[in-house]
This record gives sequence, C-alpha cells and structure tokens, in this order.
Amino acid sequence: MGEALVLDSEALSALANVRERGAHSLRARAVLGLARAEKMRVVIPSPVLSEVCRGLARDAAVLRLLTGHGMRVVALDATISRRAGALLERAKLGSAHAIDAFVVATALQFESATVATGDPKDLRRLAASFPQVRLFAL
Amino acid sequence: MADPVEKLSISVPASLVRSVRKRVGPRGMSGFVTHAMALALEQEELGTYLEALDAELGPVPPATLRAVKRAWAKR
Repeated sequence: MGEALVLDSEALSALANVRERGAHSLRARAVLGLARAEKMRVVIPSPVLSEVCRGLARDAAVLRLLTGHGMRVVALDATISRRAGALLERAKLGSAHAIDAFVVATALQFESATVATGDPKDLRRLAASFPQVRLFAL
Repeated sequence: MADPVEKLSISVPASLVRSVRKRVGPRGMSGFVTHAMALALEQEELGTYLEALDAELGPVPPATLRAVKRAWAKR
C-alpha cells in the first residue's frame, strides 16, 4: 500500500495554524514537502481528529485542511482497532495511550510509514518492534 | 454510506490496459484505476497547497529546511 506520512495531533494542529508561522508549522511544511517529493501519501488517523477537534472555532481550520489539500483521513476499522489493542498490551500501556496506539496501528497499514509527531517519546514504545514505522519529531 | 459510483468512459492506450488487466485480473480494473486516481489527485492537491503556502507566507526559511532534511534523513 505504499509509503505514508502519518500526522499526529500536533502535526495536524501545526498545519491547521500554519498562518501563525510557529516553529512547528514551518517544520511541518518542510516535512510535507519532503513527503511529496518521495510520493508518500499524507494520512490522518481518524482518532487524531478527536484530539484536535474540540468543537471550537478552530475546528474550521482543521476541516478546511482535510478537504482538497492532498490529505486523507483513515477511519478506524476492526483490524486497526485490534492491532492497537495488541500494541498497548505489548508495550504494557493502558487505554490512556489508546490514541497513540491507533496512530501507530494506522501507520502499520502501509508498507512503511513515518509518523510526524510532537512527542516521539510516547510513540517510540508502541512502535519499537516495527522498523517499517519511523518517527519524526516536529 | 458508500460513495456512489459513476461509470467513466475514458481513452487509455491499449497496451497499458492489457498490462494492467494482466496484473489485476478482469475484475480488478476499477479498483486499480480508483486507487491510481486517488493517489494522483492527492499528489496534485498537496503540490498546489504547498505552492499556495509558499506564495502567501513566503518559503520555509533555509535554516529550517536544512534542519528538517537532516532530521528526516536520520529518522
């Protein structure tokens, strides 16, 4: 299924607020450019939206970004959900880390993937035994 | 809530059609073309988006670009 750039909530927020020109936003733009050059698909696991969209006016910027900008939301299905459970179990982490686990499980749907994240520490434990999933700290 | 489908009539080089059919089988053509169209569209849209950001906000500063490229290579 090719190679993917997977955005976590910080990466998605950085792009939604790109006009504020924060350091994360600039780095996120640069990462998108590299992903494009490598013909990676840009993917947002649907649970990331539950971290970013909290019913505030800022949601509009996120929703705009998700339409017509070459990014695709990957919805949870039974395969991804069960795999996330297995990842939590293997890393001895509880459900508080469920969204991180969904992100890594979504990355595992692709032949290889890079997760652009604000916090690689949390994801590292979950992705530890999967060399095809790489992490990029924003 | 599946997206409704639309039948397309498009012209594609016959040799390409033969090669794809050989690879995906007689029933795999629609799926193959759908996937190819989605990928191509995403690439186009992403390119347009990044160019629009460069035009509106100015390019990503060279120092940021260098740092990101270094970190990307080491990821």
